[in-house]
Amino acid sequence: MTERDVVTVRGLRKTYGARVVVDGLDLDVRAGEIVGLVGANGAGKTTTVECIQGLRRPDAGVLSVLGYDPVTQAEQLRPLVGSQLQDSALPDRLRVAEALALFATSRARDGGELLERFGLAGRRRSVFSSLSGGERQRLFLVLALLNSPRLVILDELTQGLDPAARRNVWSAVRQLHEDGTTVLLVTHEMDEAEALCGRIVVMGAGRVLDAGTPAELVDRHARRATVRFSLPDPPAPLLGQLRQLNGVREVERAGAQVTVHGDRRIIAHVGATLVLWGSVPDDLSVHVPNLGDALLSLLEPQPAADAPVPAHSELIGGRR
Amino acid sequence: MSTAVGRLVRAELRLMMRDPLVLTFVFAFPIVTMLIIGGAFGTAPDPAFGGVNPAHWYVASYLTVVIAATGLVMLPVHLASYRERGVLRRFAAAGFPRWSFAVAELIIGLVTVTVACGLLLIVAVPVYGIPAVQDWWRVAAALPLGAVAFVSLGVLLGSLLPSARAAQAVGLLIFFPSFLLGAGGPPPQVMGSAVRHIAGPLPLTLLTNAVREPWLGLGPATGSLAAVAALAVAFTALAARRTVL
Repeated sequence: MTERDVVTVRGLRKTYGARVVVDGLDLDVRAGEIVGLVGANGAGKTTTVECIQGLRRPDAGVLSVLGYDPVTQAEQLRPLVGSQLQDSALPDRLRVAEALALFATSRARDGGELLERFGLAGRRRSVFSSLSGGERQRLFLVLALLNSPRLVILDELTQGLDPAARRNVWSAVRQLHEDGTTVLLVTHEMDEAEALCGRIVVMGAGRVLDAGTPAELVDRHARRATVRFSLPDPPAPLLGQLRQLNGVREVERAGAQVTVHGDRRIIAHVGATLVLWGSVPDDLSVHVPNLGDALLSLLEPQPAADAPVPAHSELIGGRR
Repeated sequence: MSTAVGRLVRAELRLMMRDPLVLTFVFAFPIVTMLIIGGAFGTAPDPAFGGVNPAHWYVASYLTVVIAATGLVMLPVHLASYRERGVLRRFAAAGFPRWSFAVAELIIGLVTVTVACGLLLIVAVPVYGIPAVQDWWRVAAALPLGAVAFVSLGVLLGSLLPSARAAQAVGLLIFFPSFLLGAGGPPPQVMGSAVRHIAGPLPLTLLTNAVREPWLGLGPATGSLAAVAALAVAFTALAARRTVL
């Protein structure tokens, strides 16, 4: 382990009764990274980050977070981690400014500036129960960042936010990255992972299915491309030539419309062939798979999502 | 107070003042029922009340009603609601020290009991008067020990019961029989023997005996005081173990 290793997890295993939720998981997060932990509901993402924060006790495995063992040194570790948790709340009648005062330690930065940045400056005197879903999420983000954490864990960060608020939060996360803060982002929103994460760890059924940059994952799991165009009465020799191109898997024709399936090389080859034939269609379109397509293909063979975590399993800090 | 416990206590006190359940049940209920029951039996010394003024009997009994209302109704609902909604989880994740919440709740419970008892006595002064305390040290020992016992019991119930609704149902189910049999209801001398046997070992009966008997000079109630002390130790140990963040 080096100074750059913020989170190191080896062989993490967690079960609830007979159900295995995390099964031999390895994970590394290095300083300054934004790492996305993605997967379907029930893949074990939230349980994994709860073990990393010392909120759940793993059944097996070795964990080191900022040099601390989350099981035996949770008290030293937790103040260094800012977290925006899924399914948590504040007391209904607690005001926004009071929440900042309650959670601010000696490491706290200027709460007013954070409220300003996240559009909550006008809500200082509002009680928690009067905030909208988006305002609550933004307040949790403010609280997560309040004590200048070295590691920020964001679980379903933009759930319930409107598109404008999502962009606002995304830009704040990018700002964190520029400031050198390490971020572990749990999400099942592929556009969010693609927009924010330098590296993505894909989980399914409690295990890591693959990890890499978004481009690497797309390259490994969604290399195909589709080219569509229409030509009035497409000549058979042209279709024959398209079938012979490097990387082409299939050519379909439905009336005037032609669809070519293959790997990404076909985009250039099909275009060049059409130009050579002197038949440049007006409506040529290309579909290139994105991270969502890649993860869908990666996650498809996995078993269906597990049942939710039992409410009374032994979550430290509230015995949930 | 900038320690975690200090910040929690400050926030919790503010929230308590905004909570109608607490204000009604812990502050108003004991005062209203004391005024009604205390007036029902008159002020002439009565053998059924150990030969003392019945109104004074109830004034000396109702401080423990405040303690029981705090421990059996206010705290279990409060804690179970926090746990159910993930507030405790948020405190834990934010790095509040492991014992900070348990200590803060103990302080909040004791502050509530002190303020509510003070209000009850202030209301009692012009209406019934406050009886002279005959055995100061026993009363002074029983009240804080009882407060610690019931506050810890409330914290324990709040950490065991699955939801705020369950905590409210169970809390009230324990509170009202305890209240009627052990503090605010008829004196033991007018109860049937079966009811008296059921009432005798209830924690609230033990606490009320440990306060009222030495206060009114009816006896030392050493056994009750020792039992309350034992309950305080046991409930505090169990509650502390259950509420570590």
